[in-house]
Amino acid sequence: MSADKNESPTGVDPRDDPRWRLVRAAARTPVPTPPGLLDRVLRSVNGLRGSLQGEPVVVQQARGRLRIGEHALALLCRHIAVRTARDIDGVHVWAVAIDPDGFEVLITVRYGVAAGDAADRLVRDVHHSLVGLVGTSLPVINVHIADVRQD
Amino acid sequence: MVACNGVVVIDVASADGELVRRAVGGNETAFDVLVRRHTPRMYRVALRIVGNPLDAEDALQDAWVSAWRALPHYRGESAVSTWLYRIVTNAALVLLRHRKPTLPLDAHCVSDRSRRSRFDAAPLDVVDERADPERDVIDSEQVDVALDAIASLELSQRVPLVLHELEGLTYEEVAEVLGVSVPALRSRLHRARVALLDRLKERQ
Repeated sequence: MSADKNESPTGVDPRDDPRWRLVRAAARTPVPTPPGLLDRVLRSVNGLRGSLQGEPVVVQQARGRLRIGEHALALLCRHIAVRTARDIDGVHVWAVAIDPDGFEVLITVRYGVAAGDAADRLVRDVHHSLVGLVGTSLPVINVHIADVRQD
Repeated sequence: MVACNGVVVIDVASADGELVRRAVGGNETAFDVLVRRHTPRMYRVALRIVGNPLDAEDALQDAWVSAWRALPHYRGESAVSTWLYRIVTNAALVLLRHRKPTLPLDAHCVSDRSRRSRFDAAPLDVVDERADPERDVIDSEQVDVALDAIASLELSQRVPLVLHELEGLTYEEVAEVLGVSVPALRSRLHRARVALLDRLKERQ
């Protein structure tokens, strides 16, 4: 019998059903951490700590200037790149990093995908989205294919 | 943490709170230790909520970026692990809200078997070493049935169920992660268990 049954208004606890053993088994089943996941996370976080070694992007507006710091822009770039990649079959964004030349978007592509075309589309779509949000004074966006997946 | 010839060395066994304090002070290594320590369980939570490995990784990366940005605001009112559970849960929910609605959630779900084949060949042996006769009779297909049934629950039921039944968080911890009262959580969990048991009956 389960130890805490007071949340059950009827006194019937689903955990007492024999089928609940499947849930307990699922809880005990290990979930392997994908190979390289830690490195990808660290690359992503560390990449956003970097420095463009430049001034914030300045957007001229009707009533003044909008300054966007490099970290804010990098986060925006990452957000857009991840969402954009979901529309490109076989492409997944690994990390977005700030480097001295601009932004580096690291991606993985599924085996068989035309990687060059996919990368071109990603740069074009991310650039287009960013320009729509902050204007034309954007750092360079480079795409680096970091891995090929076999899924 | 050890000072050695003027160089601060982060002990990988440092308490989470100390690591956060160091990270807030600008020590990037301390934050990296936190990432290494908590990523496996955060990935597991994300995977159980969103249902497929690529989305889980996106949610996890969003979560760590959010955690890094939120570090200065961490007040130590909850355990670091609880704080991170809350961040990754929110990241997973945000991701699901932005997911295209063209596929039902169930269709995204990848069973443990296919996930293992994608990432590695880890055996399915359960980790609980206590004597448990159930272990001997439940095979991986049955575990997949349970996971698929959990994945088919609506989010308001799936999330607390994942955190409590699969991750083993206490009622108080889950309530803190979700920002609800413990009585409300207990009620929600009971409804989730009833719904899950119904799904299990349908599948058997």
